[in-house]
Amino acid sequence: MALFDQRPAYAHEPTVAPIEHRFSPYSDNGGTILAIAGADFAVIAGDTRQSEGYSIQTRYARKVWQLTDNATLATNGFAADGKNFVKRVKQRLEWYEHAHHKPMGLKAIARMIQTMLYGRRFFPYYVYNILGGIEEDGTGAVYSFDPVGSYEREACRAAGAAQSLVQPFLDNQIYFKNQTPAPGAEAFVPGRLPMATVLGLVVDSFTSATERHIEVGDGLEMYVVMKEGRQTTDLTDEGQLPAGMKVEELGSMGEGRGEKTFLVSMPLKRD
Amino acid sequence: MPVEGPSIGFDFSNYARNQFLGERMNGLPRATSTGTTIVGLKFGGGDTGEEEGICLGADTRATGGPIVADKNCEKIHYLAPHMRCCGAGTAADTEFVTNLISSNLELHAYSQGRPARVVTAMTMLKQYLFRYQGQVGAYLVLGGVDSTGAHLFTIHAHGSTDKLPYVTMGSGSMAAMAVFESSFKQHMTRKDAIDLVARAIRSGIFNDLGSGSNVDVSVITKNGTEMMRNYETPNERGIKSRNYKFRRGTTAWTKESIRSLIVSEEVKMTTGAGKTQDGVLDVPVPIGKGPGGEEGMDVDA
Amino acid sequence: MNAVLQSLQPPARHTNEDEEDAWGYGNLDQRGGVRGMMVPRVPDPAAFLNLHTDSISSNPAAKIKLAHGTTTLAFRFKGGIIVAVDSRATAGSYIASGTVKKVIEINPYLLGTMAGGAADCQYWETYLGMQCRLHELRNKERISVAAASKILSNIVYQYKGMGLSMGTMICGWDKTGPALFYVDSDGSRLKGDLFSVGSGSTFAYGVLDQGYSYDLSDEEAQELGRRSIIAAGHRDAFSGNTCNLFHVRENGWEFIANYDVNELWYEYEAKKKAGASQAQAQKDEGMAVE
Repeated sequence: MALFDQRPAYAHEPTVAPIEHRFSPYSDNGGTILAIAGADFAVIAGDTRQSEGYSIQTRYARKVWQLTDNATLATNGFAADGKNFVKRVKQRLEWYEHAHHKPMGLKAIARMIQTMLYGRRFFPYYVYNILGGIEEDGTGAVYSFDPVGSYEREACRAAGAAQSLVQPFLDNQIYFKNQTPAPGAEAFVPGRLPMATVLGLVVDSFTSATERHIEVGDGLEMYVVMKEGRQTTDLTDEGQLPAGMKVEELGSMGEGRGEKTFLVSMPLKRD
Repeated sequence: MPVEGPSIGFDFSNYARNQFLGERMNGLPRATSTGTTIVGLKFGGGDTGEEEGICLGADTRATGGPIVADKNCEKIHYLAPHMRCCGAGTAADTEFVTNLISSNLELHAYSQGRPARVVTAMTMLKQYLFRYQGQVGAYLVLGGVDSTGAHLFTIHAHGSTDKLPYVTMGSGSMAAMAVFESSFKQHMTRKDAIDLVARAIRSGIFNDLGSGSNVDVSVITKNGTEMMRNYETPNERGIKSRNYKFRRGTTAWTKESIRSLIVSEEVKMTTGAGKTQDGVLDVPVPIGKGPGGEEGMDVDA
Repeated sequence: MNAVLQSLQPPARHTNEDEEDAWGYGNLDQRGGVRGMMVPRVPDPAAFLNLHTDSISSNPAAKIKLAHGTTTLAFRFKGGIIVAVDSRATAGSYIASGTVKKVIEINPYLLGTMAGGAADCQYWETYLGMQCRLHELRNKERISVAAASKILSNIVYQYKGMGLSMGTMICGWDKTGPALFYVDSDGSRLKGDLFSVGSGSTFAYGVLDQGYSYDLSDEEAQELGRRSIIAAGHRDAFSGNTCNLFHVRENGWEFIANYDVNELWYEYEAKKKAGASQAQAQKDEGMAVE
């Protein structure tokens, strides 16, 4: 009777076990961000489309945020994490200003963002950050971060959905990769392009990314951070900006050294 | 006796291997899919005096993942003079399945001595797709006019079909159907039908990321078929703000080798064992009279 | 008394509720210990992390791609320590950056290298720098390389199994002379004369082993480090772009230079060709004389 010693499989009692639902707190909201540093200015840009899968959640969602007079942060990846992260960064900046009676410098903001991201090393913010602005020595700077806080100062950086479309273009135009200077000419030096050129490159990056990437489009916002002493006319003068731009000067956020931030925006294709 | 595999259909023998490879690499290679908006509706007929017909519409974006592969592809396929078929799903499958059925419809018309009916095309398509159990990823909107009137069908990749007065398919089907549901009327005029179809496609183009670029429209009545390729182009490419012309000599090279592509040869006429054979004409063929003709090809264009 | 007791207590274990606490500086609590480190409330946090990031395995399906891939090397010789690294960071098959600083300057006489997770190395080696400074203030003398590397080793061992990924070399000069330690996130800590870490390490070891000797001159040693990185950068797809070269001597480290891997490779090739044709010419000459 050994055959019946074992109870048949169907006779097992219903198992009492927790039903596992996979904890999936992340989503990808598309879009692309980009920042370029100049000698005494920085441009931080992002498109305004927010999508999930094949649907557009909104045609206007902000991805670029002015933090201080000399720092602007762009976030990309999971929009909810991005928004929450920016909120916390702004909170820490406010505390700092209360404690020290001066706004935090760009270098310090960069380090703070590292520690804040790394604090979530085991439950990361799904956010790619690019910080741009004016350094304490007056130079334009761009810092780029990975989701858990490794960072680096660079001359330019693209992140997000169309990163792999835009970054090679920037490598070619900003770092002069794969370009040999004319015989006898001076070697190329990255990070010294005039503002009009940089803005042209940013606009072309986004119109091109919109053509070939389905998650990029709707609108473009470029934040231009200028060193103190530079004039508004540097931006609004004829030939400085590509056609069809809207320029808005953003008011000072505190006791800075007089750096100015401008918001330059334009529509992108909506298909 | 050895078990023989089926002589027709797909070969699945590499399925396990590919699945394994897919896990090790960054996913399996993806077929270009036409993340698409395609629509169709019936118009005219009834007691309006307007001739009965079918109006089909499609966007022109083809994607590979999130990348736009083709900005102006054709998704309204030819089946027969009085039949057209919009395709969504895997681009290659929609192309080949409509081509195949188009050929078979032509043969059918010859053997029967009359144009094939729309139901016939629908039946051939559904039977073909059902045989492949959804592996042929074609999602179709079939429309046409035959001796029994105007007909409109949708055919899903697994072989199911619907016959309806207005239909949408593809990733933009929801956006397009929203337009149809709010504005479709029975017995519309030809102009109203085209307008509504174009509006439905536009809705897909702007609200569905998988659809984009231009609107293609096709109208089929018993008096003929009109294909309006790029009926609307609401997404013209902008002008770049900068000029990207590179100085000659921008690209570096590691070595240079210049050679002449013009080959000159001399042909020495010989005949068997050095003797002239009977009936063989000793006409030398000059070099340079190849595919380029008398003048040869222009090398230095 | 209370203060003494408190100072003897081990640092508090990190929990989620400390979001509410007042902050010290950065991620430190007000006593200088590491805090924060929010962990998701799931049965297996490491599995959660592995599902969503490519930190432990190279999970290609993961949404969050972290920077990876490297060749780093360091070796001890009579003139000190040579540290050479590449500068490429990859996320999957994408080159995320070609300008990464993989040598982390912990303080003027300690260097750490970066392989594995870029953030893990950057963060913990910066933190190590803080601990080393505290050691100086407490003990009125510089920390030994052995002690510094052990601090790092102990930290990562606390997080073992949680998904940290580091393969690092701590290089410096202390009372015992030049010292080199390998520390990784599994908890290994090895003292040695020569290490190479990362996906391109096999290529680097090939060059390193055939040219290494303790009695190398400064120039020879620098050239060996440089040549090894160039070889790895050329053959390993996950390494390349540029080479950063450092030399640690008795009075601290010195940054030698940054070299473009491609340019240097072609330079070496040209030299090889010139050498070969010269040898051939000599040989021909020799034969003619005979």
